[in-house]
Amino acid sequence: MKRRLRLRNNIDAWILMLPMVVILYLFVWRPTVMGTVWSFFNMKAYTVKDFCGLDNYIKVLSHTQFVPMLWNTVQYVLWSLVIGFFPPLFIAIMINEIVHFKGGFRVLIYIPAVIPGIAAMLMWYFMYYPDHTGLLNMILGKFGIEPYQWLNDPNFAILGIIIYSTWKGFAGTMLLYYASLQSVSVEIYEAAIIDGAGPFKRMWHVTRPAMEGLLLLNLVRQIISVFQIMEQPLAMTGGGPNGASTSLSYQLYQYGFNSGGKGTGQAMALGVIIFLILIVFTIFYFWLNRKVEDRY
Amino acid sequence: MKRFENKQTGILSSSDLKTPYGKVLYWAFFAILALVALIALIPGIWTIMTAFKDTQEIYSAFGFFPKDMSWGRMVSRVSESWNALQLGDSFINTIVMSLGSLAMHVVVCGFGGYVLSKLKPTGSKFIFVLVVWTMMMPSQIRMVPNYISWLHFPFAGDTDMGVNLLDTFWPMWLGAGADTFAVLLFKNAFDGLSDSYVEAAKLDGCSNYGVFFRIMLPLAMPVIIFQSINVLSGAWSDFFTPLLVLDKNAVVPLKIYRLQADTSVQMNTYFMALVFASIPPFIIFAVFQKQILGGINIGGVKG
Repeated sequence: MKRRLRLRNNIDAWILMLPMVVILYLFVWRPTVMGTVWSFFNMKAYTVKDFCGLDNYIKVLSHTQFVPMLWNTVQYVLWSLVIGFFPPLFIAIMINEIVHFKGGFRVLIYIPAVIPGIAAMLMWYFMYYPDHTGLLNMILGKFGIEPYQWLNDPNFAILGIIIYSTWKGFAGTMLLYYASLQSVSVEIYEAAIIDGAGPFKRMWHVTRPAMEGLLLLNLVRQIISVFQIMEQPLAMTGGGPNGASTSLSYQLYQYGFNSGGKGTGQAMALGVIIFLILIVFTIFYFWLNRKVEDRY
Repeated sequence: MKRFENKQTGILSSSDLKTPYGKVLYWAFFAILALVALIALIPGIWTIMTAFKDTQEIYSAFGFFPKDMSWGRMVSRVSESWNALQLGDSFINTIVMSLGSLAMHVVVCGFGGYVLSKLKPTGSKFIFVLVVWTMMMPSQIRMVPNYISWLHFPFAGDTDMGVNLLDTFWPMWLGAGADTFAVLLFKNAFDGLSDSYVEAAKLDGCSNYGVFFRIMLPLAMPVIIFQSINVLSGAWSDFFTPLLVLDKNAVVPLKIYRLQADTSVQMNTYFMALVFASIPPFIIFAVFQKQILGGINIGGVKG
């Protein structure tokens, strides 16, 4: 009787879970394995031809632009950390302290996150427009400064995209920190006041320890996600000027879908390379996650 | 300053706010937040303003606000642009695509998360480990193989069998189901519900499905609503998969991406297209503001 019941439970459970297992198999697990296997094969457009060993990898790695593209990708990550890592935290802390217009600020600050990504990218594309029609040059013009090239300047393109991404994404992270800040207990702050700690001391000794774990997790998560940046260069700069904002993922898209079918094999090889670079961070993330969860 | 007295003690306390130092700090915070809010708003406002300008005005006047801001002028700009852009079909396409993605997402990830959390059949541990490990894998590795399987669904590789999914919404719908992060999110949400509900219902003679549909699903509604909002607004901004897949049945994000290269569209009309594309997400935001701004507590769970 009991065994039959367990069998019944197992069958019911697997029926409920079946859609997930099938879809994950078809669109996550199988393609991951296939992508790895096919990266060792010659491809003709989207059909698999013959085994070619490391040919695809050699082609990807010996591309004259490979090292610059890798460096671009690293620059995306570095700029996003320099510009985008701390503002969400400080804004969350400030909103947490404010009593006037608190709800209003939360709504207004969240607005960039509501605008659909592609519309926001194109908005910024026009804000960065290199003649006087762009908003930024319009503002410069009011001060009598010549129009600047913005995204057409190879030294600014990456920074410009990261400024956009920070503007678009900070509110989401801010809400995450804000929720976590509210769980810091008032008693600890009050105890700190009795010990004579000023506002900044309280922030360092009470707020910081409570937030450290989450901050560290977000740091790793941000590195992993910005390393895969693709849509922004695709929509805002087309990887230019002269490849100055081409990231590895954008190059993968070019190989896979814009090379007249010649680069499909290389696209998958590049996918494996990106995977190998990020796996280090991923393992670190899981290790960190376990440690953080143990602590709270 | 009555409001200061009820302030919850944090970095600043109500006693701090009686000192000049505390007051300066508080209003500095306020000023910085006001500045941040301004930066958050300006690109959107500028886009709306530009959409209401004349084309000549954009290229000659370089002002922030349009010269003619009368009501009649604005209405005529909106209707002119709507007629010129022909976005109606794309809007319907996007709605169909979003709703399909939503249904797929909830059915696939919600059911999966529930089974992993509560029923735990034989073999679910293995599935769970697979889900966790694939969650953080970069999606780039699957980009080309996925495209290949869309060409011969459900087979991978070169066959004459299978269905070609290009120019249908199926790649986006199936993709909405293949969300390992959401599976874990649902699993964590169900983990938070007590097992005793399940046991009590079972003693009353409820079947496994009955427990799920009549008891667990209603209890998990906040998470489901939160995820639904995310999926809907995600579908309204997804342009990459449609870019690979869709040709005739373009959705709004893809359409405005393509319009950028279309020289026949006037600048002001183009800005109006950006405004139109943003309206549905703003409606969702206006309706579900509380859930979006407060619901992040459940969004903060990890594998």
